[in-house]
Amino acid sequence: MKKHIGIFGFLALLIIILGSREKAYSQEISLISTVDKKIVTLDDKLTLTLTVHGTQDVSQPTFPEIEGFNVLYGPQISAQTRIINGQVSVSKGYIYVLRPVTKGKHTIGPSTMEYKGKRYTSSPIIVEVVESTPSSGTKSFDLDKLVFVELKTDNEEPYLYEQVILYFKLYFQKGLPIADIDYTAPATKNFMEEKLGDQIQYEEVRDGIIYNVLELRTAVFPIVSGELTISPAKLKCNLIVQEERNRRVSPRDDFFGDSFFDDFFGRGQRKYPVERITNPVLLKIKPLPEYGRPEEFKGAVGNFNMEASIKTSRVKVGDPITLSVSVYGEGNIQTINEPELVFNNKDDFKVYPAESTTQITNREEVIRGRKVFSKVIEPQKTELKSIPAIVFSYFDPRENRYKTITKDPIPITVESWEQEIPIQLTLSQEKLPASQQQVRLLTQDILPIMTGISSLKNHGYPVYKNPFLIGGLFLPAIILITSFFVVRHKDRLQTDIGYARNRRAHSVANRRLGMAQSALSGDSSSEFYACLSRGITEYLADKFNIPAASASGDRVSVLLRNKGVPVDVIEDVTRCLSDFDYRRFSSDTGTKDEMEHSLNIAEQLITKLEKQL
Amino acid sequence: MMRTRFCVFIFAVLFLCAGKLFGYSLSKDEVVKTFATANENHLEAVKFIAEKNLQEANKKLEEAALQYEMIISKGFRNGRVYYNLGNTYYRLGEVGKAILNYRKAQRLMPRNAELDANLRLAKNSIEDKEVYHETPAVIQRVLFWFFLMNQNEIITLSVSLYIIVMVLFIALIILKYQWLKRVIIGFSVGLLIAVVSLGIKIYVEQGTDRGVIITKKCPVRYGPGEEYETKYEIHEGVECIVEQVKGKWYKVYVHVGIKQEDALQSDTDKKEDKEIRRGWLHKDNLGVI
Repeated sequence: MKKHIGIFGFLALLIIILGSREKAYSQEISLISTVDKKIVTLDDKLTLTLTVHGTQDVSQPTFPEIEGFNVLYGPQISAQTRIINGQVSVSKGYIYVLRPVTKGKHTIGPSTMEYKGKRYTSSPIIVEVVESTPSSGTKSFDLDKLVFVELKTDNEEPYLYEQVILYFKLYFQKGLPIADIDYTAPATKNFMEEKLGDQIQYEEVRDGIIYNVLELRTAVFPIVSGELTISPAKLKCNLIVQEERNRRVSPRDDFFGDSFFDDFFGRGQRKYPVERITNPVLLKIKPLPEYGRPEEFKGAVGNFNMEASIKTSRVKVGDPITLSVSVYGEGNIQTINEPELVFNNKDDFKVYPAESTTQITNREEVIRGRKVFSKVIEPQKTELKSIPAIVFSYFDPRENRYKTITKDPIPITVESWEQEIPIQLTLSQEKLPASQQQVRLLTQDILPIMTGISSLKNHGYPVYKNPFLIGGLFLPAIILITSFFVVRHKDRLQTDIGYARNRRAHSVANRRLGMAQSALSGDSSSEFYACLSRGITEYLADKFNIPAASASGDRVSVLLRNKGVPVDVIEDVTRCLSDFDYRRFSSDTGTKDEMEHSLNIAEQLITKLEKQL
Repeated sequence: MMRTRFCVFIFAVLFLCAGKLFGYSLSKDEVVKTFATANENHLEAVKFIAEKNLQEANKKLEEAALQYEMIISKGFRNGRVYYNLGNTYYRLGEVGKAILNYRKAQRLMPRNAELDANLRLAKNSIEDKEVYHETPAVIQRVLFWFFLMNQNEIITLSVSLYIIVMVLFIALIILKYQWLKRVIIGFSVGLLIAVVSLGIKIYVEQGTDRGVIITKKCPVRYGPGEEYETKYEIHEGVECIVEQVKGKWYKVYVHVGIKQEDALQSDTDKKEDKEIRRGWLHKDNLGVI
């Protein structure tokens, strides 16, 4: 018994699997004949493919009548099974490689086959055979046919705000390897746009050639009427060409290995950049008709429906009720305006502005979504039995007319507060419960104007333009920097002997020269020259921070040379020092004029040295 | 020679200062006179309102408003003038302009309680339940100097702190008291805070344009032009922030709040939801603060 059950189960499973296979394969049978190019030269080869779609269990289709071509080899048979999104598709191809024999336009006749008693015929194809030329004119023409792009819309005369689907299609010949696709979307000024789904890929036969098609879709909504242009889309990509082709296995390899690509790309794998631009798309946007436009219409265009609900139906006077109104359907969801409440009396409810949330629920084929308006209303009377009816109007472009959806009033129960609050005539400082704050205070008014003019100043005058403020910014900084340097100078004078001697050298030398001047008037020549000699020697000793006794002629020369003092000045110093010492200790004191001259020389020398050191 | 030059310099400075003071006092007299007349007109209008003579009241209020506007148009900016103008517009029923002028006054008189009270009252009377992005009270208390001082006051504070820091530095250099270093650090921190506050204040008041809707009803559109459809409508008194200017159109955003009941909570627990709404509106509808 168990064995029977097992066999029965296995059979049932088999039936289910086969049934599902049959269902999955249940696609339309067709025979399609395609070629790899429509214009060939006498040196080229033509690949003819007879493809049976929908089944692989089929006899070979008849070879079509072909003039002007010889069959090089074939058929090579290829079988394909594809599963895309659960959809299984099968096909079987018979590939022939033909060589053109004569020039002119030749027709590849229809091919036929029989399947389950039914006869299927392919369409004829016209192929032009031209003379082979060394130039690449024909070849570039072929390249244009290999890859091309299109930009189209599903409606060329839409209404204002109507949803229009914009298709961008990239066609590239089947089997052609392309990479690095760079797509520049068209500029859609005066349109709102929403991206539709992911890119889709499929095959399409055009003029007997199979193309792979890459399709991008966008929903656009014109926001102004009149003639609008969608600017061209641009696509850049690279064709990948293989270099090494020692053995030509398939007709496709043959195609890529032929002289055309060899000439174009040379040998080796390389990328050949291709750029394609679509034509612009011209749309004539019709304005929305005036006739039959309802008062409630606020610009929604599409096909919509509406739902409404409230969270609480039993409330007290002044309590908030959150009304949720959902408008959903097909069209531009973002621009749906708030549906209107039809009040019998405007004082019945206190109404707050609505808050809205937008959700796109489907963006596969067209834009579908939902916009939910949350609105707070507060009933003001106990007599109210329902919230107002809700009205939403939109324009349906398919039916070319306005439509209005009306939601019936939703019943509510409004209760009064247990205790009436007397109207207050004065502002109360007591904290009232939140529910009682709606009591109107009759004395509530703005506080009076300010009449005092005593302190009426122009506060518009920017304070940063005030000179005292600018002074306040700069003066302390200047004082700070000055005091820093002064204090540092004083500190160094006290702590750094070299610095102190250096700073005082000039004044000490001047004092010595003054003493010399006194000695000159007192007729004491030896004292005069002693003052001059000491003046210069002590000056140099102070400047170089050395003992005065060490400031002899040779050492001074070396020190001055190290400081970069000019040679003539050094010579003057040496000469003066030896001259003054000579006159100081000899009887040859010179005349009074000579002494004055010596004093002047000493003064000039110290001035020169002060500049140099 | 030096003394002569110094005397000429001092005379030149005194002459310039005196000229400036003289010129200012003249315009100030005019301003005071116009302000006093406007105040009289306003007070008379209040009396007419009490007597229910609304026609005369409106006439007087319009006169007062014109006079206040004239003072402002002469470049005289004072919180009292803006406050009184706000009051005048409030009594004329132009809540948008009233809020606009109260906000202008608030920038000059940030500590004025009467102004705050009137502004709150005006805000409560607007139609839209708009939520202006107010700073939480805790932050207002912690950063009290920022909220209680206007731009000029913060500048003065910063400069004063700067001078104190400089004087302390000079004292440190001359007197060399080491404890002065700690005092300097303390005042420097204060100066840094004041300068940062000033920067933020300038950015808030001058870096971002805020405005108030001054027309009864203002359509906010999808784009800068009449040809664009209305996105939503806002009403007089709503405050918004200007993001972009294009010709005669402002791109603005407003904070709109709505009370929502939470199904899981009791009636008293209501949460305030906020939403930012953007759009374009015509310049005529907005008064920039």
